[in-house]
Amino acid sequence: MNEKLHISSGPHVRSGWTTQKIMFTVVLALLPATVVGVIVNGWKALFVILASVAAAVLSEALFDLVTKRPPTWKDGSAVVTGLMLALTLSADTPAHIAAIGAVFAIIVVKCAFGGLGKNFINPALAARCFLLISFPGSMTKFLVDGVSAPTPIAELAAGKAVNITSMFLGTSNGIIGSSIICLLIGGLFLWALDIIKGQIWISVLVGFILFLGIFGGQGFDPKFLAAHLCGGGVVLGAFFMATDYCTSPVSRLGHTIYGGMIGIMGALFRVFGTAADSFSYSIIIANLFVPLIDHFIISKPYAFRKHAEKVRNGETKKPLSKRIPRPVVVLTATALIAGLALSGVYMLTKDRIEAEKAAKEMEAYRTVVPGAETFEKLAAVEEFKGEVYGTSFGRVYINEAVAGKDDAGNTVGYAVSVTSSEGYDGDLTLSIGIGMDGAITSISFTELHETPGKGMLAGEPLFMDQFKGRNVTSFKLLKDGGSTKENEIDGVSGATITSKAAVNAVNAALDFYHKSIAGGGR
Amino acid sequence: MVFPLSMHIGKPAKPVVKRNDLVLAGQVIAEADGFISANVISSCSGKVKAVEKRRTISGALLDCIVIENDGLFTEVEGIGQERDVSKLTNAEIVQAVKDAGIVGLGGAGFPTNVKLMPKNPDAIRFVIANGAECEPYLTCNDRLMQENASEILDGLEIMLRLFPNAEGVVGIEKNKPEAIRTMQKAAEGRERIRILPLKTKYPQGGEHNLIQVVTGADYPVTMLPADVGCIVSNVGTIYAVNRAVRFSEPLFKHVMTLTGEAVAEPCNLIVRDGTIVREILEANGGLKEGVELKKVLAGGPMMGFALGSLDVPVVKTTNGLTMLSEDGFENAGKQQTACLRCGRCTSVCPTGLLPELMAEAAELKDYERYEKKLYGLECVQCGSCSFICPARRPLTETFKRVKAEIMAAKRAKQAGGAK
Repeated sequence: MNEKLHISSGPHVRSGWTTQKIMFTVVLALLPATVVGVIVNGWKALFVILASVAAAVLSEALFDLVTKRPPTWKDGSAVVTGLMLALTLSADTPAHIAAIGAVFAIIVVKCAFGGLGKNFINPALAARCFLLISFPGSMTKFLVDGVSAPTPIAELAAGKAVNITSMFLGTSNGIIGSSIICLLIGGLFLWALDIIKGQIWISVLVGFILFLGIFGGQGFDPKFLAAHLCGGGVVLGAFFMATDYCTSPVSRLGHTIYGGMIGIMGALFRVFGTAADSFSYSIIIANLFVPLIDHFIISKPYAFRKHAEKVRNGETKKPLSKRIPRPVVVLTATALIAGLALSGVYMLTKDRIEAEKAAKEMEAYRTVVPGAETFEKLAAVEEFKGEVYGTSFGRVYINEAVAGKDDAGNTVGYAVSVTSSEGYDGDLTLSIGIGMDGAITSISFTELHETPGKGMLAGEPLFMDQFKGRNVTSFKLLKDGGSTKENEIDGVSGATITSKAAVNAVNAALDFYHKSIAGGGR
Repeated sequence: MVFPLSMHIGKPAKPVVKRNDLVLAGQVIAEADGFISANVISSCSGKVKAVEKRRTISGALLDCIVIENDGLFTEVEGIGQERDVSKLTNAEIVQAVKDAGIVGLGGAGFPTNVKLMPKNPDAIRFVIANGAECEPYLTCNDRLMQENASEILDGLEIMLRLFPNAEGVVGIEKNKPEAIRTMQKAAEGRERIRILPLKTKYPQGGEHNLIQVVTGADYPVTMLPADVGCIVSNVGTIYAVNRAVRFSEPLFKHVMTLTGEAVAEPCNLIVRDGTIVREILEANGGLKEGVELKKVLAGGPMMGFALGSLDVPVVKTTNGLTMLSEDGFENAGKQQTACLRCGRCTSVCPTGLLPELMAEAAELKDYERYEKKLYGLECVQCGSCSFICPARRPLTETFKRVKAEIMAAKRAKQAGGAK
């Protein structure tokens, strides 16, 4: 009989779950979405995934080696980070960029802050945002049959109808991990195994739906809500990113507040800001609040909660706050307050914004019609108002057309204000000045909020001045540059969508001029 | 046979026998010394060999009475004779319990006669018989309830006599359907007693959890069950009360579970106090063939005490011997990673603590935060957090140490203040 008995304090048995097992279960849960991503996007998606995962694991192993720490790469957390990052990327991301992102996630976000369990923001999302800023061109390239095309979420932001079914299945244009059905299966699988916390994902989705329903302008229209839920990484974020252990709070109430914050912020950005990528930012911002939440929300042991004391004193009636779960109250209140505050500010500033918009417009007219002192609105616009103009310019609207008059009252030129809803990040509006001879005097943007360093370059003279003095009936966009002819325009490199929208808008203005102003007999 | 003078919580008993005295089974060999103390009863007949320090279950060297067993187990006269309980006064009942040396058999070993004398007996609303097992692996309560249902309820009725306003509740986990059935049958016609099936979970057998289920009230560990109108006793203790009061039989043997992966024939036994662990094991089939014995626990795998040797005597409170071939603690050391902040420990804590933050505060030696903000001293040391932790952090182990440190610091401060 072996007499060398072990002595230790209890417990003497342990559960079957280890760190490694949890991590690989998460990988397993992501597998369906990964497989569908590869099937839909082809082998290039697999390269992105492999590059990201390999870079993540290698960099963690290397970091441990260099810093002489015990090897931690085997615990599987690097695999999860690498895979999650890859799933948030477009399949057209070059593999080396995905790898750079993974290295950033592991070395800078995770290891530099103490490794597993110590990072303060989600490594995969931080890396995604890092890549968005560093490689905006490659990061926002979503190709369909080799041609850049908008993702459903971009179309949704532009107010267009989207195919919810294909978004749900994951067959629409977008990031690799965009199959909602697969993500749902994986997420609910993790929830069933108690690996992710219900309070978090539920409050994310509830907060999101509540805010969107109340302040989204379309009520609780199921189609509208479904489209928003299926796009822009909401499901991936709610189930896999927000529930990240070390960047979420400790207590149950904390989970609810944190989840609600993400949902509400995500919806807020959708309603009042630009759509693409906003969900990543709302999670990262909520991550930053976690230490604060953990500092203030420390749940007391059961025996010290008010309810327990009341029961001990013989009160049996449950207090109201117990009958309506507190998290629900907190969540609803937060959503309402945030929404009301925002819409209040919006109402208050609405008139001023309108006035400023008009002033901006007037200034643009003055810029594009030199020599004009007063502007007279042309009634010919009325019949096109609020409807897409023509058939060949995309979603383009003619807002206004004016005739510029000098001091003496003579018409010196015309200006047409056009909005295209096909910008990369929503609407872009510009005024096009046309001289009496039909040649363009100049163009000016009154609304342009595209990707900095890419689409925003459309507002620079390099692009705008190309139109000056040209007298044609329509322009042709050369997205790779090298224009030689009068009717050819060089696109802004890396911002094909923006350039195309701008050229279409100018073409619509010219068409309107020739048909309704010059030729229209007025 | 070795009888430690301290089988209970409180002051060790005073020996009343000396070397070469002849004793009988059921004889008091050491008397309670002080209010919180208990008699020690010989479980065999024979000659006192020595009163000396011996290694005990806790690993400490304690004063023990060593008796050479003559193998006859001749009992003190009068044991087993039934008497009419209804004629006894309350004081006589408590005295009988005290004389029998009865202590809580759930593991803590608190003298039962003291428990039966709360400040205000009329304020006691529930006398709870704890039929939930203390821990996984142990089945002694189950077995006892199946075989001695009516005797347990008789004991509970005796206890209820002391508390006129109380209801008797027997809590049994639902994974013991046979015990529930037998007890329910035995409870028929007993007006003041009801059987309460409980959810099967750990630590259901903890006093706190049981009271919570019965009364709906949680209470801090600094409060006693009596403060919330409850008296909780293990079914084994209640059985012993019946034997003592009705049959004048002192407590010198009890039901115990012998179990664990390393044991050839896991079983429940009636064991005489003072028997050496090795003898119990060998008399019951020994170890499984080809299995390496790594750990022997007095009690179950969660809160059980690891023995350093098999040559120690079982005592009144030894409700189980668990023999393991795998040491979870040893394996945990190999699998340990950084804390994931996964929150599993928080979700399993029966007290509603935040073990994750407690461990952090303990690591930073921020005992102020540990005690005041995180209520760290409320920890009941059930081991659930360590059990569940996927990163294999030594949580319970840390909390035990920190609690000891804080308590020691408090005592030192008090002693300093007294000077």
